[in-house]
Amino acid sequence: MSDRIQDLQKSLSEGLPQCSVEIRRHGGVELISSKENLVGVLAYLREHFGYRHLSHISCVDWLEQNQFELVYILWNYESRIQLFVKVRLARVNGSGISVRHLWPQADTYEREIAEMYGLPFDGNENPRELILEDWDNKPPMRRDFDTRAYSKEAFYDRPGREDAKDVRSVISGRSGEEIPEIAIPYTRK
Amino acid sequence: MEINDKDTLTIVEHIKNFARRHSLFVLAYGTGCGAIEIPPTMTSRYDAERFGIVGRATPRQADVLLITGYLSVKTLKRVIRTYEQMQDPKYVIGFGSCTINGGMYWDSYNTIKVLDQYMPVDVYINGCMPRPESVISGFIKLQQLIKAGKADGWKKYQENLDWYRANQKKVIKNWNMPDYNW
Ligand code: SF4
Repeated sequence: MSDRIQDLQKSLSEGLPQCSVEIRRHGGVELISSKENLVGVLAYLREHFGYRHLSHISCVDWLEQNQFELVYILWNYESRIQLFVKVRLARVNGSGISVRHLWPQADTYEREIAEMYGLPFDGNENPRELILEDWDNKPPMRRDFDTRAYSKEAFYDRPGREDAKDVRSVISGRSGEEIPEIAIPYTRK
Repeated sequence: MEINDKDTLTIVEHIKNFARRHSLFVLAYGTGCGAIEIPPTMTSRYDAERFGIVGRATPRQADVLLITGYLSVKTLKRVIRTYEQMQDPKYVIGFGSCTINGGMYWDSYNTIKVLDQYMPVDVYINGCMPRPESVISGFIKLQQLIKAGKADGWKKYQENLDWYRANQKKVIKNWNMPDYNW
């Protein structure tokens, strides 16, 4: 297995000199591309390396570096080696490039990223809502979106107890039940 | 409930409640993870049908609406629509900690935390997820409440419709549903 991965890494670095290719984890190869080359790289991998299947597009929010990272996860049915193609994009006013013409299913992932991270895709303008409905706040998966503060403000909270007392005996007493012997050692004092 | 021989209405009500509590038709609709506990409750091992608990396909045929877990705002809208289409008398059972206080989704941007702010709940069943035994015990609690004439969430909903509506509209921003009135 690892021989085949090393062979793949070698032929990828020869075929795509503008990208850096590394073996990052067991059974996976990582390829870092620039935004300009991305579509060409993906098409090349698809045509010449048998990466016919796009498993997923995922997005990472690098808040400190002010960047978004898109990870295209590709799968080769013959060699059974997973490939991660990564590209960094500007976080403010940045945009990705749609690969719907290569893989129609990319549409779903692009819609999700556009909705959850607020990252638009050139070539996939005005995507329909995917999961959220009538959302008018900051895209919720961005790291600077404070979900706790939002939920405190938007939804009612049921007041609860502040202490951490064990109330099992009180509750079981209400219906005349007894705490079974095996549970007694785990009773909090 | 007191049976007053002279007051026939009370007797009629008593008989009605007897009939109601022994034929609880449950709407086959699940939200959240909790719906996974319904099949074992209904099938041979726990066999909820011996208590008269039967599944029904459409809201207009059902008496009981189970909220089996967390409700996202998007689902809440559909649930309210479903609840309003059900015929009186109707009962709501809230399943699991998510419906009581948010459970593990207490800080989520997209799920409501306290169900009884948005619709009347007759019985809560705690646990994450409640086992079929507690589900059945929740149903029996509901039957006791019906017997005592205390399961009147649907009346409360009609009486306090404005309050419920205000809460619902606070989270559902695009309210494009028919406004029922009774
Ligand atoms: S209470 Fe637990 S099992 Fe039920 S919906 Fe919430 S997380 Fe899921």
